[in-house]
Amino acid sequence: MQSVENRIKEKAAELLTTKKVDLLIGFERGTMPLRASPAFIYDEADIEKLAWNSFCEMNLARYLTRITSKRVGIIAKGCDSRAIAALVVEGQVKREQIMIIGVPCPGMVDRRKIEKEIKGEIDKVEEKKGEIIVKGNNFEKVFKKNNYLYPCCKVCKHGNPSIYDILIGEKVKENSKVDEYAEITEYEKKSPDKRWEFFEKEVSKCIRCYACRQACPMCYCEECFVDSFHPKWVDKSLDFSDIAIWHIMRVYHQTGRCVSCGACERACPMQINLRFLTEKINKDVKVYFNFEAGLDLSVNPPLAAFDIKDREDFIDTC
Amino acid sequence: MKVKEPKIVAFLCNWCSYAGADLAGVSRIQYPPNIRVIRVPCSSRVNPLFILKALQEGVDGVLVAGCHPGDCHYISGNYLARRKFTIFKNLLDYLGIEKDRVHFTWISAAEGARFAEIVKEVTERVKKLGPVKRLVKNRSA
Amino acid sequence: MDENNKKIGAVMVVGGGIGGIQASLDLAESGFKVYLVEKNLSIGGVMAQLDKTFPTNDCSMCILSPKLVECARHRNIELLTRCEVESIEGSAGNFKIKVKKHPRFVDVSKCTGCGDCAEVCPVEVPDEYEENLANRKAIYRPFPQATPGAFGIDKSGACCECMQCEKACKAEAILHNMLEQDIELNVGSVIVFPGFDEFEPKLREEYGYGLFSNVVTSIEFERILSASGPFQGHVVRCSDKKTPKKIAWIQCVGSRDSKIERGYCSSVCCMYATKQALITKEHSPDIRTTIFYIDMRAYGKEFDRYIERAKLEYKVRYIRSRISEVKEDAKTHNLKIKYEREDGELVTEEFDMLVLSVGLDVSRSAKDLAEKLNINLNSYGFARVDSLEPLKTSRPGIFAGGVFSGPKDIPETVTSASGACALASALLSSVRGTLVAEKKYPAEKDVSGDIPRIGVFVCQCGINIGGVVNVPLVVEYAKTLPFVVYAEDNLYTCSQDTQDTIKEAIAQHSLNRVVVASCTPRTHEPLFQETIREAGLNRHLFEMANIRDQNSWVHMKQPREATEKAKDLVRMAVAKVSLKEPLGRISLKLTSRGLVIGGGLAGMVSALRLAEEGYEVYLVEKEDTLGGQAKDIYYTLKGEDVQKFLSKLIEKVTSNNKIHIFTAATIEKIEGFVGNFKTTIKLNSSLKELEHGAVIVASGANEYQPTEYLFGKDKRVVTQRKLEELIATKKLNVSNQSSIVMIQCIGSRCDENPYCSRVCCSEAIKNALALKKMNKQVNVYILYRDVRTYGFKEDWYQKAREQGVLFIRYEEDDKPEVKLNKDKLEVLVKDLILEEKLLISADLVVLSTATVPSEDNKELSQLLKVPLNEDGFFMEAHAKLRPVDFATDGIFVCGLAHSPKFIEESICQANACAARACTILSRDELEVEGIVAEVNELKCKGCRLCKEICPYGAIDVELKKVLGKEKEVARVNPALCKGCGACSASCRSGSIDLKGFSDSEILTQIGALV
Repeated sequence: MQSVENRIKEKAAELLTTKKVDLLIGFERGTMPLRASPAFIYDEADIEKLAWNSFCEMNLARYLTRITSKRVGIIAKGCDSRAIAALVVEGQVKREQIMIIGVPCPGMVDRRKIEKEIKGEIDKVEEKKGEIIVKGNNFEKVFKKNNYLYPCCKVCKHGNPSIYDILIGEKVKENSKVDEYAEITEYEKKSPDKRWEFFEKEVSKCIRCYACRQACPMCYCEECFVDSFHPKWVDKSLDFSDIAIWHIMRVYHQTGRCVSCGACERACPMQINLRFLTEKINKDVKVYFNFEAGLDLSVNPPLAAFDIKDREDFIDTC
Repeated sequence: MKVKEPKIVAFLCNWCSYAGADLAGVSRIQYPPNIRVIRVPCSSRVNPLFILKALQEGVDGVLVAGCHPGDCHYISGNYLARRKFTIFKNLLDYLGIEKDRVHFTWISAAEGARFAEIVKEVTERVKKLGPVKRLVKNRSA
Repeated sequence: MDENNKKIGAVMVVGGGIGGIQASLDLAESGFKVYLVEKNLSIGGVMAQLDKTFPTNDCSMCILSPKLVECARHRNIELLTRCEVESIEGSAGNFKIKVKKHPRFVDVSKCTGCGDCAEVCPVEVPDEYEENLANRKAIYRPFPQATPGAFGIDKSGACCECMQCEKACKAEAILHNMLEQDIELNVGSVIVFPGFDEFEPKLREEYGYGLFSNVVTSIEFERILSASGPFQGHVVRCSDKKTPKKIAWIQCVGSRDSKIERGYCSSVCCMYATKQALITKEHSPDIRTTIFYIDMRAYGKEFDRYIERAKLEYKVRYIRSRISEVKEDAKTHNLKIKYEREDGELVTEEFDMLVLSVGLDVSRSAKDLAEKLNINLNSYGFARVDSLEPLKTSRPGIFAGGVFSGPKDIPETVTSASGACALASALLSSVRGTLVAEKKYPAEKDVSGDIPRIGVFVCQCGINIGGVVNVPLVVEYAKTLPFVVYAEDNLYTCSQDTQDTIKEAIAQHSLNRVVVASCTPRTHEPLFQETIREAGLNRHLFEMANIRDQNSWVHMKQPREATEKAKDLVRMAVAKVSLKEPLGRISLKLTSRGLVIGGGLAGMVSALRLAEEGYEVYLVEKEDTLGGQAKDIYYTLKGEDVQKFLSKLIEKVTSNNKIHIFTAATIEKIEGFVGNFKTTIKLNSSLKELEHGAVIVASGANEYQPTEYLFGKDKRVVTQRKLEELIATKKLNVSNQSSIVMIQCIGSRCDENPYCSRVCCSEAIKNALALKKMNKQVNVYILYRDVRTYGFKEDWYQKAREQGVLFIRYEEDDKPEVKLNKDKLEVLVKDLILEEKLLISADLVVLSTATVPSEDNKELSQLLKVPLNEDGFFMEAHAKLRPVDFATDGIFVCGLAHSPKFIEESICQANACAARACTILSRDELEVEGIVAEVNELKCKGCRLCKEICPYGAIDVELKKVLGKEKEVARVNPALCKGCGACSASCRSGSIDLKGFSDSEILTQIGALV
């Protein structure tokens, strides 16, 4: 990872000095251990800040719809690049204004899982060949990275960027055999009442802070339907039905657009299981329309297209 | 105590399904009176939010009907609707909204009898479920 | 000019089937007054009886009924039902026609169509509409969607004059003593579409029709399939009403049969039988279906694909055979069919039901009509027309089409109808717009910002509503609803006097919104909208509650529930109307010029016609010269001289000062929309911009260049076209011993091009006959897969057989071989009857090559934003009823660009395009209906979803300054928007809404429901 980080820096320096980009969006080490934050580099002097490690889970595409710079370089993992591609298809990002520095992603580590196992203050974190070594005042603990990956990373099939201009690092071997929707398939087997119980339990936690929406690279509406007054779709209440409608529609609006980056779930302060919603949509999109978001710039997302041969087994009446 | 009769909303496309409902009338085919029709130009006009709002308002059942595939007055509207509701209906089922609350089908302008059949079927199934609860506003009240 | 020769800006259309309807609508939209004369109670013709249509399986009534309504409400169309032409005087431009109006015994202006009369009528007679498979009353409406919707009394023996109906009719519409009337009309032109009658199968008694109860005609079967038919769409046989296990179709009953004076092919039966078999399978997958046919004539666009689907997906069984005998099992009423297999063996097979695919006879009224109009018929009794002038009858000023001029399917009928309009419109262009009246309305009251003041009118509809729903209670309830300031009930809200009542109420109570609770908005909304408009309110400040068709009629035994439901429906309508805003009809300027792309025959015909109709035309051709593919065609099957016709046409086009020709020109860019296109063409490397209001795509197609059968390697292997040239230019000598072998389907009906090229069978026969004419002894072989000489072309097929042309069928997977034996050409083909290979030595091998789409189609389709089909030909908006339109308004297609076809068919389409374009170019301005989508630019993020899904290409995304911020937003072109609302329901942020069916309006209806 060290060498990748250095090459990111070299590339960033080259792009900024040759004025190929005005802004480079990447990652930097966070102020807290086990964390990275987004870095917005306008000046080559700041290049040293750039980092690449197992905590770069944020989807940087999120920022592309919020900046005004004309030419932007961006570090893109598989999911970042997919979100960028989806945003290009939806006209929110101009492909020619974006220099995508693709970085194959071996999966990101869920710091909360590690933190749980550590008592005491962390001084230093090192990474070595699939291991994370956490050092503190009077301890040193080694974590096998693969056991601590985010749920979305565990079943990720698209670690390599789908689109890029420059690729840094070796492509990772993607696990094409993993059934990324196994959990969903399992969940579907439960009785409707049990499913409703779970949905109710999860969604009832929601405090309508909309952090999920803020974190999502695909949520870029000027005004979200949930905030609309005219018409007023959803009341500003904490009535369960209003919260439920918000979550149902939010995930429905992700149809064929969600890139499974897990940003929404990570952002949620109430730790609502949002993946069980997004992955259901992603599964059905794959099953019914053989589509995954952000893989191909030339294909319209499924709700912007149709096929006369589409299945219609949702019709159950007569 | 008398059981409250359920109310069912039907979003019918103007060109086929609404015409099919009219034909049931012209042919005097009798069906249960629980249905309330909202006429829309095309099944593609139906926003999934309409369905959620109906359930939230306490409507006990929802039927959405459009022209059969290939018959759409607007060329491809029903194909678009089909994609939308494939995802949406599956999502509702998945969450645990009772399968028989929300129905989708195709009804042509010539299918008066079928329209009546479907209304009967939907009404019976909704009756079996009892009043809508899961997404209704102020459930506790 | 002589007063008698003064042209009249009105046209009479005779025949109210789909052809007559299309002709009436096109003419009415082009500035002519139209009298639509129909002998029956309703317009609609045979199409109203059909269940589905091939090859799209569209529901026939679903696509027809909007046209019926449009015809009835069009201010330039006068419907003359129960009318027949008596006599005609005068000449082209000014005819005087006497029409006999038979009594209907019901006043159309008073009848509300409620049906109370039929309810009490004691007489039941067989229902013609249901092909006598069900009964109707003596007072009746032929079918629910009949237009006009008024009832009529059948006094030809049915009515017993008990006067029950008169007593039951609260509208006092019944007039038992109504008399026959003579009407005299003055028109400039006549368009004749009397249509067809089905062949009377009793003339082929060996099939047992009329004797065996389970033998039905295809049209009877059509009703059996129909969901609104006698058996509600359950496929059952007549003897025991049980679902049959095995159904057989027998093709060519009353077609290709010169013994009964029907030597022609009826052109549609192969396809409709396939459709019926396929729909049967959809109804009951277990029914086994078999079609007995001679040649599978799937010659049209997408037809072969349809047949393949029937075979592979639906397992429809096709057996190539003539039926020699049908017997009935007296006990089971099953049918034993004896047929001869191709190898000569006789087989008997039992079926439970037999459908006779009856042919198309010319309308039984056609002979009489032709005599009265003084136009010539051919030997079969169809209108005599010339291949190069396929829409003109023998009498100038009278045009004909549809099945009257030869067997046709629906799209060809519709095409010929539009085409005939172009000729009438060209003839009468100087008097366009002289007989159409613009209605004057009072200025619209400005109600914006006013608190809603709603009036509610609840209809009793005689006893149709009032007999079930407690109407006074509903009225009282309505008065309690928010913003309702007035409510009343009416015996018939739709009657003329109630319209005055409504207007008075609007004035007296300062109503600014109106709700009518009565029947269905599908038929009655325009009437009430007109009324409130006359009272100074915008048409859209109106809403209907359907408390009859969807309430009192369907809950007749539940008056309490029906009353509650009526209240709910009124409450929902009141809630919606209170949110309604006036919707403007937007007027847009337009450029009254046409652009024709392609200077071949089709392009030139449409350009010339448009010019004759009075419009300037740009004609753009990529080659240096005009003429296109027709340059290689010398004569037609009938023997007409194509080259002479072509040079005359070129002369007419080049000398017409309204036509601006650009040859060696290419299309670079097309911008704009209906009425306002801007096209950039490249001409000698310089660019030129053309402004026009409509586009006609006539860009043609190419001849397939064969690689098979030694073509290009041996000079004696030529294409059919080359042969034609050799014959026409007298460069070919044939002796008694000459042997000429023609091979069909080269590049057609293969994996690469799965479609049929339509013309090759007839072209081969045409040239074979020409060879036989040169030397009767010459040996001509035609190696074919199916002989597809549809319509009257069948006569030439028979003639070729009589003259000794040898037809040898081959199978697709066992194609003939062409070999060189030393320097001799030899053709090897398997004889399917003798089951052995035949060796034919050939002096000339002639390849019947396919018509393939032009390689430019793709680019052109992208420039125009219109689609191509799988085969690469342009795809029309609707295979049946919009055969030359694109879904995008203002763009039309004709000729080979659309699909392979004959010259006469190209000419028909070219004329049709001119007529369709004229419906736009003839307007002073484009009026746009108010129900269109609207973008909230503040919210819109330009995500393109709406643009991608809009079926009409009405939405674009453009860069715009919104509140000082530059951003991409969607823009709706109201001229193209049709108001489906797909965009609105798809937009995640609700940035695009459909006026008239807005999110708020629908939400408020939902809220008011509970």
